[in-house]
Amino acid sequence: MSPQPQAAVGAPLSRVDGRLKVTGNAQYAAEFDVDGAVHAVIVDASIGRGRITGIDTGAAEAQPGVLRVIHHGNAPKLPYRDNAGSNNPPGRRQRVFQDDRVLFHGQPVAVVVATTLEAAQHGASLVKVEYDAVQPSTDLHDAERDKPTKYARGDAEAGLRDAPVRLDVTYELARNHHNPMEPHATIARWDGDKLTVWDKTQWVVGTHDELAAVFDLPAEAVRVINPFVGGGFGSGLRCWPHSVVAALAARETKRPVKLVLSRKQMYFGTGFRPSYEYRLRLGSDGRGRLTAAIHDIDAETSSYETFTEAVMGAGQMTYSMPNVRQAYRTVPLDVNTPIWMRGPGFASASFVIESAMDELAHKLGVDPIELRRRNEPNEDESSNLPFSTRRLRECYTVGAREFGWQRRSARPRSRREGDWLIGLGMAAGVYDPGRYPAQARARLDADGTAVVEAATSDMGPGTYTSQTQVAADALGLTMRTVTFRLGDSLYPQTGPHGGSSTMASVGTAVHDACNQVRRQAIKLAVEDRESPLYGVKADDVVVRGGRLHMKDNPARGETYRTLLARNDRTHLEAGGSYTGPPSPARHSYHAYNATFAEVAVDATLGLVRVRRMLGVYDAGRIISPKLADSQAIGGIVGGIGTALLEHTATDHRDGRIVNANLADYLVPVNADVPDVRAIYLDGEDNDGNALGVKGLGEVVQVGVAAAIGNAVFNATGRRVRELPITAEALL
Amino acid sequence: MSTELPESAVPPPTGAGESSPAPTRRTFIATSTAVGGAVVAGGAIGGSFLAAPEEVAAAEAPPSSPVSLTVNGSRRTVTVDNRTSLLDLLREHLDLTGSKKGCNAGACGACTVLVDGRRVNSCLTLAVRLEGAEVTTIEGLADGDQLHPLQQAFIDEDAFQCGYCTPGQIVSGVGCIQEGHTGSPEEIREWMSGNICRCGCYVKIVRAVEQTAGRK
Repeated sequence: MSPQPQAAVGAPLSRVDGRLKVTGNAQYAAEFDVDGAVHAVIVDASIGRGRITGIDTGAAEAQPGVLRVIHHGNAPKLPYRDNAGSNNPPGRRQRVFQDDRVLFHGQPVAVVVATTLEAAQHGASLVKVEYDAVQPSTDLHDAERDKPTKYARGDAEAGLRDAPVRLDVTYELARNHHNPMEPHATIARWDGDKLTVWDKTQWVVGTHDELAAVFDLPAEAVRVINPFVGGGFGSGLRCWPHSVVAALAARETKRPVKLVLSRKQMYFGTGFRPSYEYRLRLGSDGRGRLTAAIHDIDAETSSYETFTEAVMGAGQMTYSMPNVRQAYRTVPLDVNTPIWMRGPGFASASFVIESAMDELAHKLGVDPIELRRRNEPNEDESSNLPFSTRRLRECYTVGAREFGWQRRSARPRSRREGDWLIGLGMAAGVYDPGRYPAQARARLDADGTAVVEAATSDMGPGTYTSQTQVAADALGLTMRTVTFRLGDSLYPQTGPHGGSSTMASVGTAVHDACNQVRRQAIKLAVEDRESPLYGVKADDVVVRGGRLHMKDNPARGETYRTLLARNDRTHLEAGGSYTGPPSPARHSYHAYNATFAEVAVDATLGLVRVRRMLGVYDAGRIISPKLADSQAIGGIVGGIGTALLEHTATDHRDGRIVNANLADYLVPVNADVPDVRAIYLDGEDNDGNALGVKGLGEVVQVGVAAAIGNAVFNATGRRVRELPITAEALL
Repeated sequence: MSTELPESAVPPPTGAGESSPAPTRRTFIATSTAVGGAVVAGGAIGGSFLAAPEEVAAAEAPPSSPVSLTVNGSRRTVTVDNRTSLLDLLREHLDLTGSKKGCNAGACGACTVLVDGRRVNSCLTLAVRLEGAEVTTIEGLADGDQLHPLQQAFIDEDAFQCGYCTPGQIVSGVGCIQEGHTGSPEEIREWMSGNICRCGCYVKIVRAVEQTAGRK
């Protein structure tokens, strides 16, 4: 951190955009009042694979208000320039309305543009599409695997063979959909050859680059705007086909077009957390010291792109062991392409590893926390690098104390309250936070206020607030006098708002920009004969509340306003940057948690109710404690969903998702979430970012499902190796 | 949460083909299909309620009706396509985008508004049924610059993150307090479970509602 006094950073402040959000005045993508905008509704393929043999648009076009129906038969060819950026995975991305092929159920096959939403919706229902359908392949268990990505150290086969204690378990993880409350939406407007879109995205830069590539436009011809994101959890990390459809429809109709996905379309129009089949073999000595692990990991992807995520990391570095072998195979299916979802890879792997650790603890008769302590590594055994910080032991200690772990009976099914069996479980969590190059710009105006800008996003964690905190302290201003702006591709470029990267990356750039502006002002003062600070060493000057003064003599100083006015300066300005993590890496840099759960399981009905949960986090410095608390609690709630409720179900006969709505795809509601608490260990991690942060948005969901599953086992003696854990599985 | 309107809010038939004075959702689908309209809560996309061609041909212009209702204290008289939901009336015609469309099927509560003091899912409520009704949206809760106590409590408790479900949560919370379903955190949790918050702010939403109810 800079030598500046810390007033805002670390203070439990309320959101700076809170008022906008509670009054309904925060504007999300579909809510911009773009003059003359008409409405577009996509027609989805009703087969799982095949070809379109005919499209009858007559009835739709006869509808009053319908302007155009666009489909592969009449759409212009789009350039679709290669774009390896924008989070497009390897493969050939979906190209809207460019041919007659249907690759998955729900693929866009046409779009109806009409003057009213009602006419567009009704028109879409009237488009008749004929298909030549073939049997789609959508079952992870019944399809060809790709060649594996492998990792090995030691000799895992031999280690396992020689292990006195062995475990061989296979876990099944359901597909999850992000289901942010705000549906994905795009408003597209062409002004000549220039395209402006208001688009729900976690990365205005990525969407900008993709639209420029699809339409083969120069970078300066595209602008993407998105000041508020109504939740993302990863679903906004790519530019999805509907954004292209909106831009195409706007160009074809020469009208601004608004296109909002229906909730149903969110299930195939955007990505998802892939389903997994994960076999884990563990070997240990008689005291529970791990000797070997073999991970066989199969995960779904689409037939046209190979999506992968960091599902191998946790198995390589969470626990100490000499012998590890991993094989990660993607399984191409006739589905749309997955995308990262909160705690990507790590959350999925941790469910398996942390459940298996619980199984091993039970088998050995060792307390689950003690087993983990016995396998705590001294360095990252996958990279042989020292940990920047790793305080998992403290997480266990604090968590056990605060949760009352000593009250847990090691023997399952030993605590009962009426019809309910009560159980306690825990799990460790680890996440490898992203750190991406980022730019920011800060401007201090003559009136003593500042504006700071970066092309990042705020999908809910509170980027507006936390970046304002960083900027306010670095500039020596109050929160009230600093405005942070984001969500516009014209602002200085950043990486995606995901992977827990934003605070370390954008925060460092903001910090840098604001430090530079403050130093410019100090230099101006100490070199200005008329300043009370004239001749003072720059390092001896701090700024507080907009007033520069000597560190040791607060009486000697002046305000930014006075300084800038006397010097005829309208403003001071600087760009700041973050160049990414140290390369080569000096440390293993990860965030950690210990998560605890208490559940009640109805002994007769198998219903599982979470009674209370606690997460303890080693996430470096916490910039905005009030908001970080909300984020952790939210991550736990997300984990409750994965553990007990969430399951995207596909009918393998035709590839249709049968629960593509919020009544049948269950997410936690208020009554599912009684008592959730989060504790952040005090501290900082200075591996390559000046703020000392690690990022926390992902790690808070890692391990949650395992902690709940382990509590269910402790309650019932039943080990459910399939997510979600449902009443049926416990009957 | 109720999705039915109070009897008094149900207007007489407007002559556009509806015959039931208090149509259920199911009968509405049937009758509106017969006149060429088929837009109801999440069902129309992809041809779920495909009308027969002869029925389409019979529809020369979208049937529309005048409706006069009070929104946040202002009398509004509009002529709307009969298929228009209250939510779409607010968002697309009256420029009141505070009420959110999350699922358009009554499952998420993001669109919650008060109609004659009762919480309803505005996405399942046809605008033309609201002759004479009093509608309160999130935009109508504050008194000038003075936030409604529940709005302030949401800020103070940090009872939201992305903010998209928040207007619905707050309006629903106001209804919940008015209904007196705030006797305990458990009761609040039950009566606020029609409003999904995907960011998972439930613990704090309950706290905000509890505190605001306690101040009354």
